[in-house]
Amino acid sequence: MSEDLESRLRAALRPVAPGDEFTQKLIARVAADRRSPSKAPSARGRSPKPTTWWLSASMAASLLVAAGIQHQVQERRERERGLEARREVIEALRVTSQKLELAYEAIKSQSSSPADDASGV
Amino acid sequence: MRSCSLRLLFALLTPALAWAAPNPRLVLPEFSALAQKATESVTITLDAALLAMAGRFLDGSDPQDAATKEILKGLQGIYVRSYTFDRDSGYQQADIDAVRNQLAAPGWSRLVETRSRKSQANVDIYIMVANNQATGLALIASEPRQFTIVNIVGAIDLDKLHKLEGQFGVPKLDLDLPKAPPSNTKK
Repeated sequence: MSEDLESRLRAALRPVAPGDEFTQKLIARVAADRRSPSKAPSARGRSPKPTTWWLSASMAASLLVAAGIQHQVQERRERERGLEARREVIEALRVTSQKLELAYEAIKSQSSSPADDASGV
Repeated sequence: MRSCSLRLLFALLTPALAWAAPNPRLVLPEFSALAQKATESVTITLDAALLAMAGRFLDGSDPQDAATKEILKGLQGIYVRSYTFDRDSGYQQADIDAVRNQLAAPGWSRLVETRSRKSQANVDIYIMVANNQATGLALIASEPRQFTIVNIVGAIDLDKLHKLEGQFGVPKLDLDLPKAPPSNTKK
């Protein structure tokens, strides 16, 4: 009885060569795993895709750069307006001083030759 | 009821009083025809905001800038129109009269009037004084080939204007100017 059981077990557990179909499937699977090693099931769903991260980061950086440029342009415009106003103030005072000089010359020449000029202060 | 009537009366009178108050700012014509004929023209319009902006760009450590900064304090506007022509009589007397007529309004008084037969240059300086403080200055200079109007609006401290002497070539004018009240004068 025991000999019969033993022979039956040996027959059932004897090494059998795998079929061609099984071998091909195994090779294909191994090759597929080598091509995409990061697609581990444990990593999926935990962190955003790299493309999404880069998109967000580049958008934020673009906004910062745009705000910086806008600030610089505004500052430069204000500086230009201020310098133009300063130039105009100096020009206005220069014109005023020229005309005051004219009045002064007239007053001065009046004292030397009253017939030529008339002035009232 | 009585207080309501007073408030209503005050509200009605305020604009009228403001209108009646002498205005040191002259209404300067466009002078577009003169600008076209002129070989050189200077048009400067600086209101209080622009004067404040200019003041921020004046260097206090530079003597000329510091003097200018002092002058600008209290000013509300500087308006200049100046036209130079390449021949005599480039402008009409009517151009000057349009501005001069405004100076006949109450509040303005002529400080200086010069007529030079030799150079044919006439300079009139008008000043508006309120509460013993100069609040406006107008200068009209007419020469054969040049016509200039300067209008300075605001609390002009004449002592500070005197400090400009030597800066920008401003001459020493021995004018009998009204003195500003001591409270407004910093020495």
